[in-house]
Amino acid sequence: MSLASQDSLSKKIPHLKERSHMLMKARSFFYERGLYEVDTPLLSYAASQDEHIDLINVSGGRYLVSSPEYAMKRLLAHGSGDIFQLSHVFREGEVGFKHQPEFTMAEWYRLNFTFEEMIEETLNFIRLFVGEIPSVNMSYRTLFQKFINLDPFYAEPSHLGLYLKREKIDFPPSIESDKDALLNLILALAIEPKLPSEELFVVTHYPGAQAALAKKIPDPPFEVAERFEVYYRGFELANGYHELLDPKEQRIRCEESNALRLKLGKDPLPLDERFLEALEKGLPECSGVAVGFDRLMMLRLQKNRIDEVIPISYAEGV
Amino acid sequence: MPQISTNEFKPGVKLEIDGQPFLVVINEFVKPGKGQAFNRVKLKNLLSGRVIERTFKSGDKAEVADVVEADMRLLYTEADAAIFMDDATFEQISIPHESMGDNWQWLKEDTVYSVLIYKGRPVTIEPPTFMELFITETDPGVRGDTASGRVLKPALLETGAKVQVPIFVDQGEKIKVDTRSGEYVSRVSG
Repeated sequence: MSLASQDSLSKKIPHLKERSHMLMKARSFFYERGLYEVDTPLLSYAASQDEHIDLINVSGGRYLVSSPEYAMKRLLAHGSGDIFQLSHVFREGEVGFKHQPEFTMAEWYRLNFTFEEMIEETLNFIRLFVGEIPSVNMSYRTLFQKFINLDPFYAEPSHLGLYLKREKIDFPPSIESDKDALLNLILALAIEPKLPSEELFVVTHYPGAQAALAKKIPDPPFEVAERFEVYYRGFELANGYHELLDPKEQRIRCEESNALRLKLGKDPLPLDERFLEALEKGLPECSGVAVGFDRLMMLRLQKNRIDEVIPISYAEGV
Repeated sequence: MPQISTNEFKPGVKLEIDGQPFLVVINEFVKPGKGQAFNRVKLKNLLSGRVIERTFKSGDKAEVADVVEADMRLLYTEADAAIFMDDATFEQISIPHESMGDNWQWLKEDTVYSVLIYKGRPVTIEPPTFMELFITETDPGVRGDTASGRVLKPALLETGAKVQVPIFVDQGEKIKVDTRSGEYVSRVSG
């Protein structure tokens, strides 16, 4: 390591003290509301199934977890009640101004919380860090209609490609017919920069194809996911669901995800049979959310690089 | 040349894209929601100097450009080419005017340039960031652009570059200029 990068450590000691203070405040937030803390394993044979999240493999066929969601849901199915976790999670290859291969996530689950109640509690958690900022909710579909005048449910991939070309946003030819990849790119590069900067912006009801672990509800003739994300000042802060309970549907989504991985030239991931078994036993009606703790610290400390708010970053030689 | 993946596209790395050599300026990782991750990469075309933005799927690969740089001294220019020499080996090379583009305006004899050799062929130069050059032509006391609050007038430098200089600078004086932007920096005394 160069000396320069070592110097960067002493500069951020005050930020680390504030980080510690906020870890304490975050825990108080949960305890005040009757949740308790769990610390599920970071090292696991099972892996969260996501075609776009790559895992860090370690010896013996194990992985560093990319999310504690499966483990926490196993506890929920066995009667844990409301639980939270402040955990490090790991994602291969994610390095950038707002990304680290190892980062801190606040994840919690609430029994019998509706989708709307979960959004409200998530916003209040975020306000601990950014202050009393008002919020606005908008469905994914309305968002696209309002900001770029396209209906994401009816638009063909070719329309989305044309839109990107018109906006002079380059995209790789390999996603030309991949509707979800095109929608994601438009959301990140064309819509996100236009979102109001003085409001917590909640995007709800994602297309059925982007449901992940959320329950789907009908929006004839389509299905939408009870999934939300919170954006603020160019940061994507939270991803939450009214949780899918149906074990059959869950298995199908895991298998579809693996099929997509194969198509993308990636290795399929082993299904977490214990997680699926727990759903068979019965996951109680609940909502859950994951919030990026480091990004909240970036906002609180007004820093542009995630490296500045974590003790030792990837670039500083972990 | 070897292929490298998007996470190795560090600033300063040179890539071969669409049959042209590019320099990575910024590489930003973008991961929207639960979706496909992308790398938005700002690239400078080493031949034209133009900057473009390219989006790659994270993990996609590109070929490393066959580019090497060598410090060489300008011996002289001809109508359609410039002749450089390697101070260590005395090897001489010639770069055609047409492949050098706008950099031609910064050629001054006996100055050391970074010569870019692409696929074994010298194609262009990188001038020193700051150069000290004589003004060969400028009108005395022309009233220039006062709207912006700065009073500037056009001037022709000894290398052929046309720049804007403050109104108080005269023909025959030497100035320091930023070759990246062509901006006047200061007068050089003596």
